Formats: sequence, structure tokens, C-alpha cells
Amino acid sequence: MIELKNIKSHFPIFSCHSDLVYLDNAATTQKPQSVIEAISNFYKKENTNIHRGIYPLAVSTSQKYEAVRVKIAQFLNANDPEEIVYTSGTTASVNLVVHSFLRPQLKMDDEVIISAMEHHANLIPWQMACKDVGAHLRVIPMNRLGELDLKEFGEMLTTKVKMIAVTHISNSLGSINPIEEMIDMAHQKGIPILVDGAQSVAHYPIDLQGLDVDFFTFSGHKLFGPTGIGVLYGKKQYLDKMQPIQFGGGMIKNVTFEKSIFSEVPQLFEAGTTNISGVIGLGAAIDYVNELNRDEVLGFLKRMENNLTSKLLEVDGLRIIGQAKKKSAIVSFSMESIHPHDIATFLGAENIAVRAGHHCTQPVMDFFQLPATTRVSFSIYNQEEEVDFFVKKIKEIKQFFG
Amino acid sequence: MNERLKGLYKTIILEHNKEPFFFEKNEKATYGLKAYNQICGDRFELYFDVKNGLISDLTFHGFGCAISKASTSVLVKNLRGKDFMEALLFCRSFLSVAKNDEGLDEKLGEELEAFSAAKEFPGRLKCATLAWDEMIIFLEKNITK
Repeated sequence: MIELKNIKSHFPIFSCHSDLVYLDNAATTQKPQSVIEAISNFYKKENTNIHRGIYPLAVSTSQKYEAVRVKIAQFLNANDPEEIVYTSGTTASVNLVVHSFLRPQLKMDDEVIISAMEHHANLIPWQMACKDVGAHLRVIPMNRLGELDLKEFGEMLTTKVKMIAVTHISNSLGSINPIEEMIDMAHQKGIPILVDGAQSVAHYPIDLQGLDVDFFTFSGHKLFGPTGIGVLYGKKQYLDKMQPIQFGGGMIKNVTFEKSIFSEVPQLFEAGTTNISGVIGLGAAIDYVNELNRDEVLGFLKRMENNLTSKLLEVDGLRIIGQAKKKSAIVSFSMESIHPHDIATFLGAENIAVRAGHHCTQPVMDFFQLPATTRVSFSIYNQEEEVDFFVKKIKEIKQFFG
Repeated sequence: MNERLKGLYKTIILEHNKEPFFFEKNEKATYGLKAYNQICGDRFELYFDVKNGLISDLTFHGFGCAISKASTSVLVKNLRGKDFMEALLFCRSFLSVAKNDEGLDEKLGEELEAFSAAKEFPGRLKCATLAWDEMIIFLEKNITK
């Protein structure tokens, strides 16, 4: 078991930038030494392609690549490793479901439901599919605290609805959505549902079989792994019916000029040489997370979020955006007459990394009538004293702008 | 507080940010140029008419950070009453102040000097030049007409 105390030393970036206060974990997490070494060692000692060569090195790489699939399935408690499809990230995972699962069956006047707090990656692909066929995109409303209206959601579930896609945790508000309940409600009406786990997978234990969710997506880089690798989980019964949207090497059984016969799921969706080092790195990241005490992590993150929120609320003219009852360690805020980019520039000069902008959730910003917010998002290597340092700097900025 | 940053946000930027010049909508204006930074969402509109070949009734409205708002305010204040050629040359001088290490052109005055610090913060350069870039595109297109 890894203890949170001294955990910072596992992340080389903090040796290179000793005074870096990294509060942009919802954008991407830092990488532990073990992940960096796994990728580096792969290229130094093992680099070969997969599923092709029959010499020992290639066989070994293929085995490791598939072993990570098993590891991911165990990590998320999926029923079968074949339900784990490697993609380039959450965006690609959502797009695969849209184009391969939904689009072939979607007809004019059908409906697709998303929520009011979706990241653009879980909004635009559905929007485009609806637009293509004349279907309608319906949006589950939220209140001013950033909580979804489940009563309204229930009323939206008519026979016209062909698909639901909802985020587990909002990247701009931090709201944790009641996905268990939403999945049940969807299934009572026989509607498949996708959950975007990009913001939840790093810290919240995911039990795919317990949830009974139909599709689940995440990116490796928000889980202490490398960029460019992600996962689509899909129930076998759905994946088996889906047609590939990319064709090429690595996904066929037999090819003639007249006809091609494709491989089985999941290779079917992994045309071309995939991000092999990314898979190896993701495997190392999951090993790392498996060594954490996740209850301890969640307790720590909650303390950090509570501490920051209560201290920020003491600052005059500062407004917390997103105050859902159930929240992750993401704190968005706005300050009267000081633009988030000015705040982020001043914080940046103090080596504090935060995100300022619309966080790829423009409709959320429109809802709160803000052009942008400043967002703090914590992870395991943050320190309690960083909260005080951060709040001190916010007060100085407020004073400077007057 | 960081001294370099304080330099960038000199009093001039803070003042223009708080009390911008001619900050009002004018939907009736002949021209409405949209200056939009898709990366950060800053969005200003410049409104003006042309009378006797001179830019008149130039105003602006919208939202953005202190730097983009102040720089648009400075643009509005300085381009009023100029013809297209004068305006274009002025805009180009401003850009060279903001982007290059060249010394300040005395004609431009100290108001623009504040923005010369923007080059130290590459992430914020677009904020300083947002409205100016749009204006230059317009002027270059229309100057030969």
C-alpha cells in the first residue's frame, strides 16, 4: 500500500519544479515514475508491434498488451476483458459509440438524452448524429447548485429515446451525478446508457457489473497514465452488434479483393497499429492506483475541497460555481470584475497551475451567465498547505485589481 | 506579487479595464466587427461609421480579461477620427510594440507602452492584440476601395 504522505516524491515533475502547485488535475494528472519507466522500458527493451510477429519479443509484447486489457477489466469489475476496447481517449470512445452503435439505428424524430453539464466531447458527437437524421437532442436540466433534475429526467424517458449519455462527474462543476439511479431508470424503459467516467475513474471505485451500465468511457491521462490512450467499455451484447468505423490492419480474419471478414470484438475496433506504449503505460498507472488506499484518497480529497471552499467563501465578491450536495475535488469560482484569465496569469506567475476558461462546457457557462471560471482540481499529491497559499494569492490578486 | 506581472498590468491597463473608453453597444452603426478569441472565449464587438473618409463614433462592447478589454479601449480611443490609412499604420505600430522588442515609437505615447510587457507572457499576447488583429483585417480589405 502506498501512503499519501510523501507521495509527491513518486512524481518526477515535482523534482523538476519544486515549487509547482499543480491544481489542474481535471485537465490531466501528473505521471508517477513507475508509469514513465514502463513506457521508457518498453521502447528501450521491448519495442515490437503486436498481434503480428511470431518472434519471442513480439509475442511477449502481444501478451503484455492483452494482459493490460485483463487488468482494466478487473480494475473496473467488467465481466469479460473482451468488453474493453482500446481507444485514443474519452472523445474517441464516445465517437465510436455514436457512429458504430447509435447512428445506424437512429431515425428521424428519435431522441437522444444528454445532461446540461456535459463536456463538449459528450455533447457534440450526439448533436451531430441527431442533426444527420433529424433526431432531437434532449437535455436533462440542472438547478443553480449544479444538480441534475431526476424528476424531469424520468419524464423525458419516452419510447422515442434511443440513447442516454451522461457524465459521472462534471469537469467544470464537480457535481457527482447519481448514475446508479439514472442507469436503473434508463433500464426500466429499456434504453441503453453511456457514462462518461473521465473525471471519476482516477479516484472513485467503479464497479461496472454492479452499475450494470451499458457503455463507460475514460482516458488514461486523467488516471496518472499517458495521453493518447483511453478505453471504451461496452456490454458484450452491444459490442457484438456494432460495426467497425475504421478499417485496416489488425482487425481482419481474411481479405480478398472481393470481400473482407473481420475479427471479433474488441480487435474489430482497433484497426491499425494502436498506441502500444500507451497501453503499457496505462497498465502501470492502474498498478499504481491499485496500490493506493482509495478510501484514504477520497477522504483526503474531500478535506481539500471542503477546506478550499470554506476559505474561498470568506473572500468578498467570490462566487463558487457548482455547489452540488455530492461533489468531487473540483472547485470552480468567479470573482467580481476580475476575469479568470487575469487570475490564472497572476497565479501562474506564482507557479500555481489552475485552469481558466470554459472548460469545454460552454453551455454550462451560459447557464451561469459567465464567460469563464477559474477552476481548481485536486489530486493525491496536493498538500494541505497549498490551499492556504492559494487563498493568500487570491486575496492579493483581489487587492491588486482593487 | 510578481513584479513582472505588475509591470504588465500597469495602472494604464487597470484603469482602462475599470473605466473603458466608449464602452457601449451601437447596433445601428454601419460597421460591426467581431473580435473573438475561441481559445478563451473573449468576445468584443467594435462599432463605427465612416464620415468623410474618417472613422467616427467608434465604440465597443463585450467581455474579456483586463488586458483584452484595456487594449480594445485604447484602440477605440486612438482610432477615432483617423482615416483608414492612418488607422492601419497605427494598428501595425501597436502590434510591433506588443510583439517585438523594438523600442517604443514615440508617436504612440505611453498608453501603448503598457502592452509592450505582453510579449513576456506569450500566453496572453493574443489578449493584447485581439481587437487590433480584427481591425487590421478590416482595414487591409477596405483600404484600396
